[in-house]
Amino acid sequence: MRSAWAFALLVPAVALLAAFLLAPLVNLLVTSFHVYSSTQGITPRWTFDNYTRFLFDRFYLDVLLRTLRVGLETTGLCVVLGYPVALYLQQTRGATRNWLTLLLLSPLLVSMVIRAYGWVIILGHNGTIPLYTEGAIIIGLVHVSLAYMVLPILASLEQIDPAVLRAAANLGASPFTVFRRVTLPMTFPGLLAGCVIVFSLSVSAFVTPSILGGTRVKLLSTYIYDQVVSLLNWPYGSAIGFVLIAVSTIALLLFGRALRRSHTDVVLG
Amino acid sequence: MLHRAYVFLVYLFLIAPIAVVMLASLTTTSFVTFPPKGLTLAWYAAIFAHPEFVNSLVLSIVVGVGTALVAGTFGTLAAVAIARERVVGAGLWLALLSSPLVIPTVVLGIALLQWYTILALPAGVVPLVIGHTVLALPYVVRLVCAGLAGIDPSLERAAAGLGATPLQRLRRVTLPIIAPSVIAGALFAFITSFDDLTVALFVVSTNVMTLPVRIYNYMQFNYDPLITSVSTVMIVLSIVLVVVVERVIGVGRLFGKTAAQ
Repeated sequence: MRSAWAFALLVPAVALLAAFLLAPLVNLLVTSFHVYSSTQGITPRWTFDNYTRFLFDRFYLDVLLRTLRVGLETTGLCVVLGYPVALYLQQTRGATRNWLTLLLLSPLLVSMVIRAYGWVIILGHNGTIPLYTEGAIIIGLVHVSLAYMVLPILASLEQIDPAVLRAAANLGASPFTVFRRVTLPMTFPGLLAGCVIVFSLSVSAFVTPSILGGTRVKLLSTYIYDQVVSLLNWPYGSAIGFVLIAVSTIALLLFGRALRRSHTDVVLG
Repeated sequence: MLHRAYVFLVYLFLIAPIAVVMLASLTTTSFVTFPPKGLTLAWYAAIFAHPEFVNSLVLSIVVGVGTALVAGTFGTLAAVAIARERVVGAGLWLALLSSPLVIPTVVLGIALLQWYTILALPAGVVPLVIGHTVLALPYVVRLVCAGLAGIDPSLERAAAGLGATPLQRLRRVTLPIIAPSVIAGALFAFITSFDDLTVALFVVSTNVMTLPVRIYNYMQFNYDPLITSVSTVMIVLSIVLVVVVERVIGVGRLFGKTAAQ
């Protein structure tokens, strides 16, 4: 009786996802194994070519590597910019902290299209990092994902018992040593969680690479769009889509393993 | 001191593109330039000469409200099943309901485009609300689960003990207590929908076009400052929304819990 009621509560959400997430994805997966012909469109013949093609397609391989590189560089920059901000927020109290948190989060409420357009204006007027380059995409992505790096680090910092830091200082450790030997290792879980979120956000982002990369710099997501919308090559476009899903899932699993290891490291010293 | 200056610079970086768009909307030139030359509100008046932008704004709000209602309802019910009714396989259901988070939006977009073509579903509010509900469900479920974790289950047990049916228990006890999380989830769903370009890009038609898609298409071929004034209107709407949310439930609550996942 009780479990029937619980299942009834789940039905609307689960049915919606089954009908409009799982079914469309299965359908797309089937498409990705079909042969595409420029005269007949999607043919009923089966093939693995859409997946094996990237091993021989130099252009495709470049797009894949560029996507991974952009993801890693964005993640790295977010760590460099975000960690000091998290530390600062943790040391600040009261109204200042509320305002700083609000300011950190407020860009999230502005459409990504508008934020990317802001960078188009800035980079278009200042030639240090030209538009339609990997650099421009990375700047836009860092802007989009910085808050997702700061918040988990901040959550980890909040969990450190201040007595531990005082003990380290009393035992003669310099502030830098305290940071390197105590604070940093203890915030590793938060740092890794931030890296997971930022990396998977940036490898799968579409809006920012599309506006700031233009037609010149393609990442997997914008390449998929071109294949499907401009070239109508659905089988190839969907195959790249599943490669993109695989890339972000593998990244999540790797980070997840590192996260579990770092947890045990902190506990076992 | 150095730390403070560094943090100041990072904040400058965060604010820069938004401030630049807002300031550029005041220019008297017929092209976007920064800093703006002169000072005029002409580009705001120009919005009304482009009814398609106004129509798109209305459509975006309608789709956003629809998404907030559908995702808010479905997500809340599912969260109650997982966090309260201890449904069999709760972990598995939570993983399924979170799965849209790991699907790149561009892949969801093309999958839905193909699926809607098969179903012969024409472009309109319904397919947009469905797509955005898929995007927003994980946030609602997680926010409401987090809200449920903070309340005492004995309240519901007491209601059951006093003879309330499951539906009465849900309506009269559980929902009133978790109302703030439900509102936060619905608002998050609205924002997700209002901001979405990628899924909408595949689902819209020339007549039915949400505001982000309208702006995106316009900026491909036009360089006049109309985009900046339309964007500023959108930014101001978001700021109003934040202030309202802050007053009602607190922004920290809206973001803190999802970000910690």
